[in-house]
Amino acid sequence: MGFRGELDQDTVGNLPLRDAIAVQHDTTALDAVKLMREKSLGCAVIVDQGGTPTGLFSEQSLVDMLARDLSLADHVVGDFTDAGLLVVRSSDPISRVWDAVERDGLRFVLVTDDEGKLIGVTGQRGIAEYLAERFPQQVLVQRLGNTPWMQQREGA
Amino acid sequence: MNGTPQSDPDKFEDPLNNYEPTPYASELHRVLAEEAIDDMQSTPSAQVTVDTSIRGATEMLSELKVSSLLVVKGETLVGIFTERDVLEKVAENYAALADQPVGEVMSADPTVVYETDPVGMALAGIAVAGHRHVPVLKVDGTVMGIVSPKRVLRHLSPYLD
Repeated sequence: MGFRGELDQDTVGNLPLRDAIAVQHDTTALDAVKLMREKSLGCAVIVDQGGTPTGLFSEQSLVDMLARDLSLADHVVGDFTDAGLLVVRSSDPISRVWDAVERDGLRFVLVTDDEGKLIGVTGQRGIAEYLAERFPQQVLVQRLGNTPWMQQREGA
Repeated sequence: MNGTPQSDPDKFEDPLNNYEPTPYASELHRVLAEEAIDDMQSTPSAQVTVDTSIRGATEMLSELKVSSLLVVKGETLVGIFTERDVLEKVAENYAALADQPVGEVMSADPTVVYETDPVGMALAGIAVAGHRHVPVLKVDGTVMGIVSPKRVLRHLSPYLD
């Protein structure tokens, strides 16, 4: 079985997941930004009353707001959501996330349990870490100059 | 005479006679270990100079729909300004910082890879060092481009089966 077969068999639940930041659509952008900074995470997930994801407020959303000189305190995240939103279940195959990153360029993929409740965020970082773990001799042994890696780590 | 001993062609042993290429379990293993980042066709990078204002750089990130800008002084890479820098260092104080130079808030001396490094090195920069975008330098140290997770996955995709 090739690696594509493994991606089809292995489930999203085995990808590195980050705890999601859940906000309401009427949360101010400023409050969302504070949470994102606190958790060092590049997005906040907008959920409805039942906890189902309905949108994504990301660093890109933030940049777009600042570029338009909009006040973060006076606008809500529901008005500045990302265009691309993919929600997968933890029991779905990892190939769904791979394809979303490779073909659609999505940075974040939201993960729910089988009842549709949000349980985490994965995406570009999750797939990259999964790949690195599967090919340790080809990836993890590589050295990147004298840079102290962990000191400069951005987070998800 | 220059002191170099005369070599006898009849006694010459080619050291490469004993060379055996590294066996790999799959093409994917080989590509990660041996193919150069140059083969990946890294994306041309958006660049700003170190004295570009934070406002100008933020507008550029938005207009170009990119998540990072390489910060250069002449032809030398001195830093990278990313969406994460906007979140961490700029967002909550944007009005006061907007006219400051981007050099004040960029991430200086970023992790880089070279065009001749293997693809696995780019993946290490993303997965291990934790950078979403890794600048690619030519062997002479000038900027070549930038490599992203999407670019790495796209390069590996033909070798998955």
